[in-house]
Amino acid sequence: MTSSTTAGLSAADFEKFREFFYKRTGIQFTESKRYFVDKRIETCIKQAGFPGFNAWFSALRLSDRSGLLQDLINQLTVNETYFLREDYQFDSLLKTVLPDVLAARGGAGRMTGPVKILSLPCSTGEEPYSIALRLLEEWDQIDHVDVEIHGADIDSTVLDKAAHASYGERSLQRVPMAWRAKYFAPVGAGRYQLDAGIRGAVTLHQVNVCDTTSMRSFRDFDVIFCRNVLIYFDELSSRRAAENLYGAMRPGGYLFLGHSESMSRISPIFTPSRLPEGIVYQRPSGGPR
Amino acid sequence: MGLVRRDHQPAEAKAAPPVETLLRQLDDPDPDCRREAALGLDGVAEAVPELLARVGPETASTVRDALLTTLAAHDTAEVAEALAVHLASDEADLRTAVAEALATMPGSMPAIVPRLLEDPDHDVRVMTAMVLADLAHPGSLTWLADMIRQDPHPNVVTAAVDALLPSLGPEHTELLRDAVRRFPDDPFLRFTVEAAVG
Repeated sequence: MTSSTTAGLSAADFEKFREFFYKRTGIQFTESKRYFVDKRIETCIKQAGFPGFNAWFSALRLSDRSGLLQDLINQLTVNETYFLREDYQFDSLLKTVLPDVLAARGGAGRMTGPVKILSLPCSTGEEPYSIALRLLEEWDQIDHVDVEIHGADIDSTVLDKAAHASYGERSLQRVPMAWRAKYFAPVGAGRYQLDAGIRGAVTLHQVNVCDTTSMRSFRDFDVIFCRNVLIYFDELSSRRAAENLYGAMRPGGYLFLGHSESMSRISPIFTPSRLPEGIVYQRPSGGPR
Repeated sequence: MGLVRRDHQPAEAKAAPPVETLLRQLDDPDPDCRREAALGLDGVAEAVPELLARVGPETASTVRDALLTTLAAHDTAEVAEALAVHLASDEADLRTAVAEALATMPGSMPAIVPRLLEDPDHDVRVMTAMVLADLAHPGSLTWLADMIRQDPHPNVVTAAVDALLPSLGPEHTELLRDAVRRFPDDPFLRFTVEAAVG
């Protein structure tokens, strides 16, 4: 894209861009992602009104137009998800993890502070809202225990959508009809908006999991879902993300990764636990090893 | 009881403490405080000597891992050299943690690999094979093949074979069989190779 927005990036431009984006976000694109990256950069350049890659890239690096970077992040992070995805992990949450959390914290009625759950990246909200729905519908302790649910993502656009919580059929395909009738209201054009009470129960944050400074405000989570994001990072950024997740958890807290991800190849700081429904990772409860 | 929302809106990111404060916190008695200080010094070049000095003496593995994560981001020859010293440590946990960190330093490791391959301590060469197993560098497979072909110690050759296994191709079959022929009295090497190439 040395002269126009349709010619694609030169190899040198791609390298420059890849290095820049990695330093800012920890996300590294391989050569196999060239087409994907080129198309989305083209979109950013067109939307911002630049004549070509060089002018856009200079502004991105040198100017204070921070919106350019956020637009780029929004274009380059993949956000497709749906309600109750990989819900065997939600089964683990209800059957094994939450009972263990309650026991470790002294039991319902004696706990100091709510059970805290973080969904990261939360994309357009399907995961944290799925957690909320399953707790409300299926967890027999929900009337006795306060639960605080947080969602976080690097992408500001998806967070806006998560706050609005309006979904189409594709997102809702796995939601039982009874739940749909109870918690969603049709808003036209085949879309349904989630009940305001549940929307209001999930706090949304913008954060980069690789950024230690911004992750510093996340503390004392009992459970974190961080599924299918570490695969985007190189080894070093994955290690940093793992460290930041560790810092965000209570000792003994549980971390769920995507089914194809393994912490053992990233960092030794978590202890793997085999639950009936699969592997989960724990921050050791006995203080630093 | 039930789902609750926190009183305040999404938390503002807390500003990182000043570098001087973080450097002091590296010596805090609380391991969590030391760990956070080590992570907080990411990208602070002047902190590198202080961080390096604490890798060996640190007793809490979580703190040591944080030190290594921050140091590995300084992918320079100086950091790689200083960390590689610990590949000879008597502490297995330290050796392994450092090897994992070095494997995330593709910029600086290539410069020191040739020296590590010649290290007189065969345990260091074993750890070097472990680093090469995970190092994202086009030379890794060549170095591992060189170790298999040339290293005089069977443990090193076995470690290199192990490291090569995930990338094994037909072109390596004769290399591995030669290794078995070089060490006919090493049953573990024979077993490893037979399991790999039949």
